[in-house]
Amino acid sequence: MTTLLTINGATRRFGGLTAVDGVSTTVAKGELVGVIGPNGAGKTTLFNLISGFTPLSAGKVHFKGRRIDGQKPFRIARLGIGRTFQNLRIFPNMSVFDNVSVGAAGMLGVNAAGAVFGGKARSEAISRRAWAALEQVGLQGLAGELAANISYGRRKYLEIARALAMEPELIILDEPAAGLNDTETRELAAFIKRLHGDGMTVLLVEHDMGLVMGICERVVVLASGRKIADAAPEVVRKDAAVLEAYLGVEE
Amino acid sequence: MSDRLRPLLVVAAVLVLVLGVVPAVLGAFDRSYLYQVANLALIFVLLAASMHLVTGVAGLLQLGHAAFYGVGAYTAALLTTEAGLSFGWTLPLAGLGAAFVAVLVALPTMRLVSIYFAVATLGIGQMLYLVMLNWVPVTKGPNGILVTSGLTLFGYDLSRPASAYFVVAVVTLASLWVIHRLSHSYYGNALRSLREDDQCADAMGLDTVRLKIESFAVSGFFAGIAGALWAHTAGYISPADFSFPQSILILAMVVVGGLGSLPGAVIGALVLILLPEVLRPVGDFRNIIVGGVLFFSILLMPKGIIGEVSALDLVRRQLGGAWRGEGTKAGSEVGWR
Ligand SMILES: Nc1ncnc2c1ncn2[C@@H]1O[C@H](COP(=O)(O)OP(=O)(O)OP(=O)(O)O)[C@@H](O)[C@H]1O
Ligand SMILES: [Mg+2]
Repeated sequence: MTTLLTINGATRRFGGLTAVDGVSTTVAKGELVGVIGPNGAGKTTLFNLISGFTPLSAGKVHFKGRRIDGQKPFRIARLGIGRTFQNLRIFPNMSVFDNVSVGAAGMLGVNAAGAVFGGKARSEAISRRAWAALEQVGLQGLAGELAANISYGRRKYLEIARALAMEPELIILDEPAAGLNDTETRELAAFIKRLHGDGMTVLLVEHDMGLVMGICERVVVLASGRKIADAAPEVVRKDAAVLEAYLGVEE
Repeated sequence: MSDRLRPLLVVAAVLVLVLGVVPAVLGAFDRSYLYQVANLALIFVLLAASMHLVTGVAGLLQLGHAAFYGVGAYTAALLTTEAGLSFGWTLPLAGLGAAFVAVLVALPTMRLVSIYFAVATLGIGQMLYLVMLNWVPVTKGPNGILVTSGLTLFGYDLSRPASAYFVVAVVTLASLWVIHRLSHSYYGNALRSLREDDQCADAMGLDTVRLKIESFAVSGFFAGIAGALWAHTAGYISPADFSFPQSILILAMVVVGGLGSLPGAVIGALVLILLPEVLRPVGDFRNIIVGGVLFFSILLMPKGIIGEVSALDLVRRQLGGAWRGEGTKAGSEVGWR
Protein backbone atom coordinates (compact mmCIF):
# COMPACT_ATOMS: atom_id res chain seq x y z
CA MET A 1 0.00 0.00 0.00
CA THR A 2 1.27 3.45 -0.83
CA THR A 3 1.33 6.07 1.84
CA LEU A 4 -0.76 9.11 1.00
CA LEU A 5 -0.47 11.27 4.07
CA THR A 6 2.37 11.37 6.58
CA ILE A 7 2.14 13.43 9.74
CA ASN A 8 5.38 13.75 11.59
CA GLY A 9 5.54 15.23 15.08
CA ALA A 10 2.77 17.71 14.31
CA THR A 11 2.56 20.29 17.08
CA ARG A 12 0.42 23.35 17.49
CA ARG A 13 0.51 25.73 20.41
CA PHE A 14 -2.04 28.42 21.14
CA GLY A 15 -0.28 30.63 23.65
CA GLY A 16 0.38 28.39 26.63
CA LEU A 17 -1.93 25.63 25.41
CA THR A 18 -0.57 22.83 23.25
CA ALA A 19 -3.62 21.80 21.25
CA VAL A 20 -1.75 19.19 19.20
CA ASP A 21 1.36 17.76 20.75
CA GLY A 22 3.84 15.79 18.63
CA VAL A 23 1.30 13.69 16.76
CA SER A 24 2.65 11.31 14.14
CA THR A 25 0.69 8.94 11.95
CA THR A 26 0.23 7.93 8.33
CA VAL A 27 -2.72 7.31 6.09
CA ALA A 28 -2.32 4.86 3.23
CA LYS A 29 -4.18 5.09 -0.05
CA GLY A 30 -7.61 3.53 0.27
CA GLU A 31 -7.67 3.52 4.06
CA LEU A 32 -10.56 4.62 6.24
CA VAL A 33 -9.06 6.05 9.41
CA GLY A 34 -11.00 7.44 12.34
CA VAL A 35 -9.77 10.08 14.76
CA ILE A 36 -11.49 10.16 18.14
CA GLY A 37 -10.89 11.86 21.45
CA PRO A 38 -12.71 13.82 24.14
CA ASN A 39 -13.76 17.45 23.64
CA GLY A 40 -10.79 19.71 23.13
CA ALA A 41 -8.47 16.80 22.39
CA GLY A 42 -7.14 18.59 19.32
CA LYS A 43 -8.92 16.68 16.55
CA THR A 44 -10.12 19.72 14.61
CA THR A 45 -6.79 21.43 15.11
CA LEU A 46 -5.05 18.38 13.63
CA PHE A 47 -7.36 18.60 10.59
CA ASN A 48 -6.60 22.30 10.26
CA LEU A 49 -2.89 21.52 10.34
CA ILE A 50 -3.31 19.06 7.49
CA SER A 51 -5.48 21.34 5.33
CA GLY A 52 -3.33 24.40 5.94
CA PHE A 53 -5.87 26.42 7.91
CA THR A 54 -3.60 26.57 10.94
CA PRO A 55 0.19 26.74 10.69
CA LEU A 56 2.24 24.16 12.58
CA SER A 57 4.37 25.20 15.53
CA ALA A 58 6.60 22.20 14.88
CA GLY A 59 6.59 19.04 12.81
CA LYS A 60 5.95 18.17 9.19
CA VAL A 61 3.11 17.03 6.99
CA HIS A 62 3.68 15.25 3.67
CA PHE A 63 1.05 14.41 1.07
CA LYS A 64 1.94 12.13 -1.82
CA GLY A 65 5.59 12.59 -0.89
CA ARG A 66 5.33 16.39 -1.05
CA ARG A 67 5.76 18.56 1.97
CA ILE A 68 2.54 20.52 2.41
CA ASP A 69 2.81 22.24 5.77
CA GLY A 70 3.30 25.98 5.36
CA GLN A 71 1.40 25.98 2.07
CA LYS A 72 -1.80 27.93 1.55
CA PRO A 73 -5.06 26.00 1.99
CA PHE A 74 -6.05 26.32 -1.66
CA ARG A 75 -2.74 24.83 -2.80
CA ILE A 76 -3.13 21.91 -0.44
CA ALA A 77 -6.70 21.45 -1.66
CA ARG A 78 -5.54 21.37 -5.26
CA LEU A 79 -3.07 18.62 -4.46
CA GLY A 80 -6.10 16.47 -3.73
CA ILE A 81 -7.35 16.99 -0.19
CA GLY A 82 -11.03 17.77 0.20
CA ARG A 83 -12.52 18.62 3.58
CA THR A 84 -15.70 19.39 5.44
CA PHE A 85 -16.05 21.49 8.57
CA GLN A 86 -17.20 20.62 12.06
CA ASN A 87 -19.87 23.32 12.11
CA LEU A 88 -21.28 22.83 8.63
CA ARG A 89 -20.07 25.46 6.24
CA ILE A 90 -22.00 25.67 3.01
CA PHE A 91 -22.75 28.65 0.77
CA PRO A 92 -26.31 29.36 1.98
CA ASN A 93 -27.36 31.89 -0.68
CA MET A 94 -26.35 29.73 -3.60
CA SER A 95 -28.22 26.84 -5.12
CA VAL A 96 -27.32 23.27 -4.21
CA PHE A 97 -25.84 22.77 -7.66
CA ASP A 98 -23.84 25.99 -7.54
CA ASN A 99 -22.45 25.03 -4.13
CA VAL A 100 -21.13 21.78 -5.50
CA SER A 101 -19.90 23.34 -8.71
CA VAL A 102 -17.53 25.54 -6.72
CA GLY A 103 -15.71 22.42 -5.55
CA ALA A 104 -15.21 21.34 -9.14
CA ALA A 105 -14.34 24.84 -10.37
CA GLY A 106 -11.65 25.28 -7.73
CA MET A 107 -9.88 22.17 -8.93
CA LEU A 108 -10.30 22.76 -12.66
CA GLY A 109 -9.25 26.38 -12.43
CA VAL A 110 -11.15 29.62 -12.69
CA ASN A 111 -10.13 32.65 -14.69
CA ALA A 112 -11.95 35.69 -15.96
CA ALA A 113 -10.79 35.60 -19.57
CA GLY A 114 -11.76 31.96 -19.91
CA ALA A 115 -15.22 32.61 -18.52
CA VAL A 116 -15.86 35.49 -20.93
CA PHE A 117 -14.25 34.35 -24.16
CA GLY A 118 -13.64 30.66 -23.57
CA GLY A 119 -15.72 27.89 -25.00
CA LYS A 120 -18.02 25.55 -23.15
CA ALA A 121 -15.46 22.85 -22.40
CA ARG A 122 -14.48 24.12 -18.95
CA SER A 123 -18.00 24.80 -17.78
CA GLU A 124 -19.23 21.46 -19.05
CA ALA A 125 -16.44 19.65 -17.25
CA ILE A 126 -17.38 21.52 -14.07
CA SER A 127 -21.06 20.72 -14.52
CA ARG A 128 -20.36 17.04 -15.15
CA ARG A 129 -18.31 16.75 -11.99
CA ALA A 130 -20.89 18.61 -9.96
CA TRP A 131 -23.67 16.35 -11.23
CA ALA A 132 -21.68 13.24 -10.51
CA ALA A 133 -21.06 14.41 -6.94
CA LEU A 134 -24.72 15.31 -6.43
CA GLU A 135 -25.79 11.90 -7.67
CA GLN A 136 -23.26 10.24 -5.40
CA VAL A 137 -24.97 11.73 -2.34
CA GLY A 138 -28.45 11.57 -3.84
CA LEU A 139 -29.16 15.28 -3.96
CA GLN A 140 -29.66 15.63 -7.73
CA GLY A 141 -33.40 16.21 -7.24
CA LEU A 142 -32.69 19.30 -5.15
CA ALA A 143 -30.07 20.78 -7.47
CA GLY A 144 -32.00 23.98 -8.10
CA GLU A 145 -32.93 24.64 -4.46
CA LEU A 146 -31.25 27.32 -2.44
CA ALA A 147 -28.82 25.62 -0.06
CA ALA A 148 -30.29 27.51 2.89
CA ASN A 149 -33.70 25.98 2.18
CA ILE A 150 -32.84 22.29 2.41
CA SER A 151 -32.92 20.28 5.63
CA TYR A 152 -29.98 20.09 7.99
CA GLY A 153 -29.29 16.46 7.22
CA ARG A 154 -29.19 17.18 3.50
CA ARG A 155 -26.92 20.14 4.01
CA LYS A 156 -24.46 17.74 5.63
CA TYR A 157 -24.48 15.66 2.45
CA LEU A 158 -24.24 18.81 0.38
CA GLU A 159 -21.03 19.72 2.16
CA ILE A 160 -19.65 16.25 1.48
CA ALA A 161 -20.74 16.43 -2.17
CA ARG A 162 -18.94 19.74 -2.56
CA ALA A 163 -15.73 18.09 -1.35
CA LEU A 164 -16.35 15.07 -3.60
CA ALA A 165 -16.77 17.33 -6.64
CA MET A 166 -13.13 18.21 -6.13
CA GLU A 167 -12.42 14.54 -6.91
CA PRO A 168 -9.90 14.50 -4.07
CA GLU A 169 -7.57 11.64 -3.27
CA LEU A 170 -8.11 12.14 0.44
CA ILE A 171 -11.25 13.44 2.04
CA ILE A 172 -11.25 14.60 5.63
CA LEU A 173 -14.58 14.80 7.43
CA ASP A 174 -14.85 16.68 10.71
CA GLU A 175 -17.74 15.25 12.73
CA PRO A 176 -20.12 14.62 9.82
CA ALA A 177 -22.65 12.98 12.17
CA ALA A 178 -22.88 15.93 14.57
CA GLY A 179 -26.50 16.99 14.90
CA LEU A 180 -27.90 13.92 13.12
CA ASN A 181 -30.33 11.51 14.77
CA ASP A 182 -29.64 7.78 15.10
CA THR A 183 -31.23 6.77 11.81
CA GLU A 184 -29.43 9.52 9.93
CA THR A 185 -26.16 8.57 11.59
CA ARG A 186 -26.60 4.95 10.49
CA GLU A 187 -27.30 6.09 6.94
CA LEU A 188 -24.24 8.29 7.01
CA ALA A 189 -22.10 5.40 8.25
CA ALA A 190 -23.33 3.29 5.35
CA PHE A 191 -22.60 6.14 2.95
CA ILE A 192 -19.05 6.63 4.20
CA LYS A 193 -18.48 2.91 4.01
CA ARG A 194 -19.70 2.87 0.41
CA LEU A 195 -17.49 5.83 -0.42
CA HIS A 196 -14.54 3.98 1.01
CA GLY A 197 -15.58 0.85 -0.83
CA ASP A 198 -15.44 2.83 -4.07
CA GLY A 199 -11.78 3.52 -3.37
CA MET A 200 -11.81 6.85 -1.52
CA THR A 201 -9.28 7.45 1.24
CA VAL A 202 -11.12 8.87 4.23
CA LEU A 203 -9.93 10.50 7.43
CA LEU A 204 -12.85 10.88 9.79
CA VAL A 205 -13.18 12.76 13.06
CA GLU A 206 -16.17 11.62 15.04
CA HIS A 207 -17.64 11.90 18.46
CA ASP A 208 -20.00 9.04 17.79
CA MET A 209 -17.89 6.08 18.95
CA GLY A 210 -20.30 3.59 17.45
CA LEU A 211 -19.90 5.08 14.00
CA VAL A 212 -16.12 5.16 14.14
CA MET A 213 -15.72 1.72 15.69
CA GLY A 214 -18.25 0.30 13.25
CA ILE A 215 -16.71 1.39 9.97
CA CYS A 216 -13.06 2.40 10.47
CA GLU A 217 -10.16 0.09 9.78
CA ARG A 218 -7.91 1.96 12.12
CA VAL A 219 -8.54 4.44 14.88
CA VAL A 220 -6.26 7.18 16.14
CA VAL A 221 -7.08 8.36 19.64
CA LEU A 222 -6.11 11.83 20.81
CA ALA A 223 -6.26 13.13 24.38
CA SER A 224 -5.08 16.59 25.39
CA GLY A 225 -3.31 16.93 22.08
CA ARG A 226 -1.32 13.71 22.37
CA LYS A 227 -1.82 10.52 20.44
CA ILE A 228 -2.54 7.80 22.98
CA ALA A 229 -3.52 4.98 20.65
CA ASP A 230 -3.35 4.13 16.94
CA ALA A 231 -4.69 0.68 16.14
CA ALA A 232 -7.62 -1.39 14.91
CA PRO A 233 -10.98 -0.60 16.58
CA GLU A 234 -11.14 -3.83 18.58
CA VAL A 235 -7.67 -3.17 20.01
CA VAL A 236 -8.42 0.48 20.82
CA ARG A 237 -11.65 -0.51 22.54
CA LYS A 238 -9.70 -2.45 25.18
CA ASP A 239 -6.78 -0.05 25.47
CA ALA A 240 -6.23 1.04 29.07
CA ALA A 241 -5.09 4.57 28.19
CA VAL A 242 -8.13 5.07 25.95
CA LEU A 243 -10.55 3.84 28.59
CA GLU A 244 -8.93 6.15 31.07
CA ALA A 245 -9.18 9.16 28.75
CA TYR A 246 -12.83 8.45 27.99
CA LEU A 247 -13.94 7.46 31.46
CA GLY A 248 -11.93 10.22 33.06
CA VAL A 249 -10.16 7.85 35.47
CA GLU A 250 -7.55 9.74 37.48
CA GLU A 251 -4.18 8.23 38.18
CA MET B 1 -40.24 28.20 -28.08
CA SER B 2 -37.05 26.47 -29.03
CA ASP B 3 -34.28 26.72 -26.46
CA ARG B 4 -31.84 27.87 -29.08
CA LEU B 5 -34.08 30.57 -30.40
CA ARG B 6 -35.00 32.22 -27.15
CA PRO B 7 -31.57 33.67 -26.23
CA LEU B 8 -31.29 35.11 -29.74
CA LEU B 9 -34.70 36.73 -29.40
CA VAL B 10 -33.87 38.21 -26.01
CA VAL B 11 -30.62 39.65 -27.32
CA ALA B 12 -32.37 40.93 -30.44
CA ALA B 13 -35.06 42.60 -28.32
CA VAL B 14 -32.44 44.40 -26.22
CA LEU B 15 -30.55 45.53 -29.32
CA VAL B 16 -33.71 46.78 -31.03
CA LEU B 17 -34.73 48.67 -27.91
CA VAL B 18 -31.38 50.32 -27.16
CA LEU B 19 -30.14 50.83 -30.71
CA GLY B 20 -33.48 51.29 -32.49
CA VAL B 21 -36.43 52.43 -30.42
CA VAL B 22 -34.60 54.74 -28.01
CA PRO B 23 -32.61 56.59 -30.72
CA ALA B 24 -35.81 56.90 -32.81
CA VAL B 25 -37.63 58.51 -29.90
CA LEU B 26 -34.65 60.73 -29.11
CA GLY B 27 -34.46 61.71 -32.77
CA ALA B 28 -38.14 62.59 -32.85
CA PHE B 29 -37.71 65.08 -30.04
CA ASP B 30 -34.20 66.01 -31.10
CA ARG B 31 -33.19 67.91 -28.00
CA SER B 32 -29.59 67.66 -26.82
CA TYR B 33 -30.79 67.59 -23.22
CA LEU B 34 -32.61 64.30 -23.87
CA TYR B 35 -29.52 62.78 -25.46
CA GLN B 36 -27.55 63.86 -22.42
CA VAL B 37 -30.02 62.12 -20.10
CA ALA B 38 -29.94 58.96 -22.22
CA ASN B 39 -26.13 58.92 -22.15
CA LEU B 40 -26.07 59.52 -18.43
CA ALA B 41 -28.52 56.67 -17.86
CA LEU B 42 -26.38 54.27 -19.88
CA ILE B 43 -23.18 55.39 -18.16
CA PHE B 44 -24.74 54.75 -14.76
CA VAL B 45 -26.05 51.39 -15.96
CA LEU B 46 -22.44 50.51 -16.66
CA LEU B 47 -21.26 51.90 -13.32
CA ALA B 48 -23.92 49.94 -11.44
CA ALA B 49 -23.15 46.77 -13.40
CA SER B 50 -19.45 47.07 -12.62
CA MET B 51 -20.15 47.62 -8.94
CA HIS B 52 -22.58 44.70 -9.02
CA LEU B 53 -19.67 42.43 -9.86
CA VAL B 54 -17.51 43.43 -6.93
CA THR B 55 -20.13 44.27 -4.29
CA GLY B 56 -23.13 42.15 -5.28
CA VAL B 57 -21.36 39.04 -6.53
CA ALA B 58 -17.98 38.99 -4.77
CA GLY B 59 -19.45 40.64 -1.67
CA LEU B 60 -16.80 43.33 -1.25
CA LEU B 61 -18.53 46.48 -0.09
CA GLN B 62 -16.99 49.13 -2.30
CA LEU B 63 -17.57 52.71 -1.13
CA GLY B 64 -15.16 54.43 -3.50
CA HIS B 65 -16.41 53.29 -6.89
CA ALA B 66 -16.92 56.81 -8.23
CA ALA B 67 -13.20 57.47 -7.80
CA PHE B 68 -12.36 54.79 -10.39
CA TYR B 69 -15.00 56.32 -12.63
CA GLY B 70 -13.07 59.58 -12.13
CA VAL B 71 -9.70 58.02 -12.87
CA GLY B 72 -11.13 56.81 -16.18
CA ALA B 73 -12.70 60.16 -16.98
CA TYR B 74 -9.55 62.14 -16.20
CA THR B 75 -7.38 59.68 -18.10
CA ALA B 76 -9.56 60.02 -21.19
CA ALA B 77 -9.91 63.80 -20.86
CA LEU B 78 -6.19 64.42 -20.41
CA LEU B 79 -5.18 62.03 -23.18
CA THR B 80 -7.52 63.88 -25.51
CA THR B 81 -6.77 67.46 -24.52
CA GLU B 82 -3.04 67.13 -23.81
CA ALA B 83 -1.93 64.32 -26.13
CA GLY B 84 -4.56 64.68 -28.83
CA LEU B 85 -5.51 61.02 -28.73
CA SER B 86 -8.89 60.02 -30.09
CA PHE B 87 -11.59 57.86 -28.58
CA GLY B 88 -10.18 54.62 -30.00
CA TRP B 89 -7.20 55.08 -27.67
CA THR B 90 -8.66 56.95 -24.75
CA LEU B 91 -11.41 54.41 -24.11
CA PRO B 92 -9.23 51.34 -23.51
CA LEU B 93 -6.54 53.41 -21.78
CA ALA B 94 -9.11 54.89 -19.40
CA GLY B 95 -10.26 51.39 -18.53
CA LEU B 96 -6.73 50.11 -18.05
CA GLY B 97 -5.74 53.16 -16.01
CA ALA B 98 -8.64 52.66 -13.64
CA ALA B 99 -7.95 48.92 -13.44
CA PHE B 100 -4.31 49.63 -12.64
CA VAL B 101 -5.25 51.98 -9.79
CA ALA B 102 -7.77 49.37 -8.59
CA VAL B 103 -5.08 46.71 -8.40
CA LEU B 104 -2.77 49.07 -6.50
CA VAL B 105 -5.57 49.73 -4.05
CA ALA B 106 -6.59 46.10 -3.82
CA LEU B 107 -3.18 44.64 -3.03
CA PRO B 108 -2.93 46.02 0.51
CA THR B 109 -6.65 46.06 1.33
CA MET B 110 -7.81 42.61 0.19
CA ARG B 111 -7.01 40.95 3.46
CA LEU B 112 -9.32 43.29 5.32
CA VAL B 113 -12.77 41.92 5.97
CA SER B 114 -16.27 43.33 5.67
CA ILE B 115 -16.67 46.73 7.22
CA TYR B 116 -12.91 47.34 7.44
CA PHE B 117 -12.57 46.80 3.73
CA ALA B 118 -15.49 49.15 3.12
CA VAL B 119 -13.87 51.88 5.20
CA ALA B 120 -10.58 51.38 3.36
CA THR B 121 -12.30 51.85 -0.01
CA LEU B 122 -14.03 54.92 1.40
CA GLY B 123 -10.61 56.33 2.29
CA ILE B 124 -9.16 55.50 -1.12
CA GLY B 125 -12.12 57.10 -2.87
CA GLN B 126 -11.69 60.21 -0.80
CA MET B 127 -7.93 60.31 -1.52
CA LEU B 128 -8.41 60.00 -5.26
CA TYR B 129 -11.08 62.70 -5.12
CA LEU B 130 -8.71 65.03 -3.29
CA VAL B 131 -6.03 64.35 -5.89
CA MET B 132 -8.47 65.38 -8.64
CA LEU B 133 -9.38 68.47 -6.65
CA ASN B 134 -5.90 69.60 -5.61
CA TRP B 135 -3.43 68.43 -8.25
CA VAL B 136 -4.15 71.63 -10.13
CA PRO B 137 -1.27 71.55 -12.66
CA VAL B 138 -2.61 68.30 -14.10
CA THR B 139 -6.32 68.08 -13.29
CA LYS B 140 -7.01 71.84 -13.32
CA GLY B 141 -8.50 71.33 -9.86
CA PRO B 142 -12.03 72.53 -9.17
CA ASN B 143 -12.16 74.28 -12.54
CA GLY B 144 -12.40 70.93 -14.26
CA ILE B 145 -11.47 70.13 -17.84
CA LEU B 146 -13.26 71.05 -21.04
CA VAL B 147 -13.27 68.12 -23.43
CA THR B 148 -14.42 69.49 -26.73
CA SER B 149 -12.83 67.02 -29.09
CA GLY B 150 -11.81 63.43 -29.22
CA LEU B 151 -15.01 61.58 -30.04
CA THR B 152 -13.72 60.34 -33.36
CA LEU B 153 -13.18 56.79 -34.51
CA PHE B 154 -11.10 55.91 -37.58
CA GLY B 155 -11.31 59.54 -38.62
CA TYR B 156 -15.10 59.72 -38.39
CA ASP B 157 -16.50 62.48 -36.25
CA LEU B 158 -18.96 60.99 -33.78
CA SER B 159 -19.57 64.04 -31.65
CA ARG B 160 -23.09 64.83 -32.93
CA PRO B 161 -25.59 63.91 -30.19
CA ALA B 162 -27.15 61.11 -32.23
CA SER B 163 -23.86 59.42 -33.04
CA ALA B 164 -22.48 60.00 -29.55
CA TYR B 165 -25.49 58.16 -28.19
CA PHE B 166 -24.69 55.18 -30.40
CA VAL B 167 -21.10 55.15 -29.16
CA VAL B 168 -22.22 55.14 -25.54
CA ALA B 169 -24.88 52.51 -26.21
CA VAL B 170 -22.59 50.14 -28.08
CA VAL B 171 -19.79 50.40 -25.52
CA THR B 172 -22.25 49.91 -22.64
CA LEU B 173 -23.90 46.90 -24.27
CA ALA B 174 -20.55 45.28 -25.03
CA SER B 175 -19.41 45.86 -21.45
CA LEU B 176 -22.66 44.44 -20.10
CA TRP B 177 -22.14 41.36 -22.19
CA VAL B 178 -18.73 40.80 -20.60
CA ILE B 179 -20.09 41.41 -17.09
CA HIS B 180 -22.95 39.02 -17.85
CA ARG B 181 -20.52 36.32 -18.90
CA LEU B 182 -18.51 36.86 -15.74
CA SER B 183 -21.34 36.95 -13.26
CA HIS B 184 -23.47 34.23 -14.85
CA SER B 185 -20.89 31.49 -15.12
CA TYR B 186 -18.71 29.28 -12.99
CA TYR B 187 -16.58 32.40 -12.53
CA GLY B 188 -19.50 34.23 -10.97
CA ASN B 189 -20.18 31.23 -8.76
CA ALA B 190 -16.60 31.27 -7.58
CA LEU B 191 -16.96 34.96 -6.71
CA ARG B 192 -20.24 34.26 -4.93
CA SER B 193 -18.56 31.59 -2.85
CA LEU B 194 -16.06 34.24 -1.65
CA ARG B 195 -18.96 36.36 -0.53
CA GLU B 196 -20.60 33.43 1.25
CA ASP B 197 -17.53 32.02 3.03
CA ASP B 198 -14.10 32.77 1.69
CA GLN B 199 -12.24 30.37 3.99
CA CYS B 200 -14.45 27.62 2.76
CA ALA B 201 -13.83 28.65 -0.86
CA ASP B 202 -10.13 28.44 -0.07
CA ALA B 203 -10.59 24.83 1.02
CA MET B 204 -12.18 24.15 -2.39
CA GLY B 205 -8.95 25.11 -4.13
CA LEU B 206 -9.87 28.68 -5.05
CA ASP B 207 -7.16 31.30 -4.84
CA THR B 208 -9.40 33.70 -2.97
CA VAL B 209 -6.99 36.62 -2.80
CA ARG B 210 -6.27 36.50 -6.52
CA LEU B 211 -9.97 36.27 -7.34
CA LYS B 212 -10.82 39.24 -5.16
CA ILE B 213 -8.10 41.37 -6.72
CA GLU B 214 -9.21 40.27 -10.17
CA SER B 215 -12.85 41.16 -9.54
CA PHE B 216 -11.80 44.49 -8.13
CA ALA B 217 -9.67 45.19 -11.20
CA VAL B 218 -12.39 44.17 -13.67
CA SER B 219 -14.90 46.31 -11.83
CA GLY B 220 -12.44 49.22 -11.87
CA PHE B 221 -11.83 48.69 -15.57
CA PHE B 222 -15.49 49.12 -16.45
CA ALA B 223 -15.85 52.09 -14.12
CA GLY B 224 -12.94 53.60 -16.07
CA ILE B 225 -14.69 52.85 -19.36
CA ALA B 226 -17.78 54.61 -18.01
CA GLY B 227 -15.55 57.55 -17.10
CA ALA B 228 -14.24 57.82 -20.65
CA LEU B 229 -17.80 57.78 -22.00
CA TRP B 230 -18.73 60.57 -19.62
CA ALA B 231 -15.66 62.68 -20.42
CA HIS B 232 -16.28 62.47 -24.16
CA THR B 233 -20.04 63.00 -24.12
CA ALA B 234 -20.50 65.54 -21.33
CA GLY B 235 -17.81 67.81 -22.73
CA TYR B 236 -16.78 68.93 -19.28
CA ILE B 237 -15.64 67.06 -16.17
CA SER B 238 -14.88 68.25 -12.68
CA PRO B 239 -14.06 66.50 -9.38
CA ALA B 240 -17.63 66.87 -8.11
CA ASP B 241 -18.75 64.29 -10.70
CA PHE B 242 -16.68 61.65 -8.89
CA SER B 243 -17.21 62.46 -5.23
CA PHE B 244 -18.45 60.27 -2.40
CA PRO B 245 -22.18 60.97 -3.00
CA GLN B 246 -21.74 59.51 -6.49
CA SER B 247 -20.33 56.30 -4.99
CA ILE B 248 -23.31 56.11 -2.69
CA LEU B 249 -25.67 56.74 -5.60
CA ILE B 250 -24.17 53.79 -7.48
CA LEU B 251 -24.38 51.65 -4.36
CA ALA B 252 -28.04 52.61 -3.97
CA MET B 253 -28.71 51.54 -7.57
CA VAL B 254 -27.15 48.15 -6.96
CA VAL B 255 -29.01 47.59 -3.69
CA VAL B 256 -32.40 48.88 -4.82
CA GLY B 257 -32.14 46.82 -7.99
CA GLY B 258 -31.11 43.71 -6.07
CA LEU B 259 -27.73 42.96 -4.56
CA GLY B 260 -26.07 40.23 -6.62
CA SER B 261 -28.47 40.68 -9.52
CA LEU B 262 -27.22 42.09 -12.85
CA PRO B 263 -30.67 42.87 -14.28
CA GLY B 264 -31.40 44.49 -10.93
CA ALA B 265 -28.33 46.73 -11.17
CA VAL B 266 -29.42 47.83 -14.65
CA ILE B 267 -32.96 48.59 -13.55
CA GLY B 268 -31.78 50.28 -10.35
CA ALA B 269 -29.56 52.59 -12.40
CA LEU B 270 -32.33 53.43 -14.85
CA VAL B 271 -34.78 54.17 -12.05
CA LEU B 272 -32.43 56.39 -10.09
CA ILE B 273 -31.29 58.37 -13.13
CA LEU B 274 -34.59 58.65 -14.98
CA LEU B 275 -36.90 59.21 -12.03
CA PRO B 276 -35.38 62.58 -11.05
CA GLU B 277 -35.54 63.65 -14.70
CA VAL B 278 -39.17 62.64 -15.06
CA LEU B 279 -39.94 64.50 -11.85
CA ARG B 280 -38.18 67.67 -12.98
CA PRO B 281 -41.49 69.60 -13.37
CA VAL B 282 -42.22 69.31 -9.64
CA GLY B 283 -39.04 71.23 -8.80
CA ASP B 284 -36.83 70.59 -5.81
CA PHE B 285 -39.56 68.56 -4.19
CA ARG B 286 -38.47 65.73 -6.52
CA ASN B 287 -35.46 64.97 -4.36
CA ILE B 288 -37.78 64.15 -1.50
CA ILE B 289 -39.83 61.93 -3.79
CA VAL B 290 -36.71 60.08 -4.97
CA GLY B 291 -35.62 59.60 -1.36
CA GLY B 292 -39.08 58.29 -0.51
CA VAL B 293 -39.03 55.87 -3.43
CA LEU B 294 -35.63 54.59 -2.26
CA PHE B 295 -36.83 54.19 1.30
CA PHE B 296 -40.07 52.40 0.51
CA SER B 297 -38.63 50.21 -2.20
CA ILE B 298 -36.01 48.84 0.17
CA LEU B 299 -38.61 48.50 2.92
CA LEU B 300 -41.02 46.59 0.70
CA MET B 301 -38.45 44.75 -1.41
CA PRO B 302 -35.38 44.20 0.78
CA LYS B 303 -33.96 41.83 -1.81
CA GLY B 304 -34.33 44.46 -4.50
CA ILE B 305 -36.54 44.97 -7.51
CA ILE B 306 -35.17 41.73 -8.97
CA GLY B 307 -33.42 39.77 -6.21
CA GLU B 308 -30.40 37.62 -6.92
CA VAL B 309 -32.26 34.31 -6.88
CA SER B 310 -34.96 35.44 -9.31
CA ALA B 311 -32.37 37.19 -11.47
CA LEU B 312 -30.29 34.03 -11.84
CA ASP B 313 -33.46 32.11 -12.61
CA LEU B 314 -34.47 34.65 -15.21
CA VAL B 315 -31.08 34.71 -16.89
CA ARG B 316 -30.95 30.93 -16.98
CA ARG B 317 -34.34 30.70 -18.60
CA GLN B 318 -34.02 33.62 -21.02
CA LEU B 319 -30.40 33.38 -22.03
CA GLY B 320 -30.04 29.63 -21.87
CA GLY B 321 -27.29 29.64 -19.28
CA ALA B 322 -28.36 26.14 -18.37
CA TRP B 323 -26.21 23.17 -19.04
CA ARG B 324 -28.46 20.16 -19.00
CA GLY B 325 -27.49 17.39 -16.66
CA GLU B 326 -27.15 13.83 -17.82
CA GLY B 327 -30.52 12.71 -19.03
CA THR B 328 -33.54 14.89 -18.77
CA LYS B 329 -34.66 14.23 -15.23
CA ALA B 330 -36.98 16.68 -13.65
CA GLY B 331 -35.11 19.50 -12.00
CA SER B 332 -31.95 18.83 -13.93
CA GLU B 333 -32.05 22.16 -15.65
CA VAL B 334 -29.39 23.92 -13.64
CA GLY B 335 -25.78 24.73 -14.13
CA TRP B 336 -23.93 27.33 -16.05
CA ARG B 337 -22.36 27.64 -19.36
N1 LIG C 1 -7.70 29.28 17.28
C1 LIG C 1 -7.52 28.85 18.54
N2 LIG C 1 -7.02 29.68 19.48
C2 LIG C 1 -6.85 29.25 20.74
N3 LIG C 1 -7.12 28.04 21.18
C3 LIG C 1 -7.63 27.15 20.29
C4 LIG C 1 -7.87 27.52 18.93
N4 LIG C 1 -8.37 26.45 18.27
C5 LIG C 1 -8.46 25.48 19.20
N5 LIG C 1 -8.01 25.89 20.40
C6 LIG C 1 -7.95 25.06 21.60
O1 LIG C 1 -7.23 23.90 21.28
C7 LIG C 1 -7.82 22.78 21.94
C8 LIG C 1 -8.15 21.73 20.93
O2 LIG C 1 -9.27 22.21 20.17
P1 LIG C 1 -9.92 21.37 18.98
O3 LIG C 1 -10.99 22.19 18.42
O4 LIG C 1 -8.84 20.92 18.07
O5 LIG C 1 -10.51 20.15 19.75
P2 LIG C 1 -11.45 18.99 19.22
O6 LIG C 1 -10.80 17.73 19.56
O7 LIG C 1 -11.80 19.21 17.80
O8 LIG C 1 -12.71 19.20 20.13
P3 LIG C 1 -14.25 18.98 19.80
O9 LIG C 1 -14.52 17.55 20.00
O10 LIG C 1 -14.95 19.84 20.81
O11 LIG C 1 -14.49 19.45 18.41
C9 LIG C 1 -9.00 23.29 22.73
O12 LIG C 1 -8.62 23.48 24.07
C10 LIG C 1 -9.32 24.61 22.07
O13 LIG C 1 -9.86 25.51 23.00
MG1 LIG D 1 -13.48 19.55 16.72
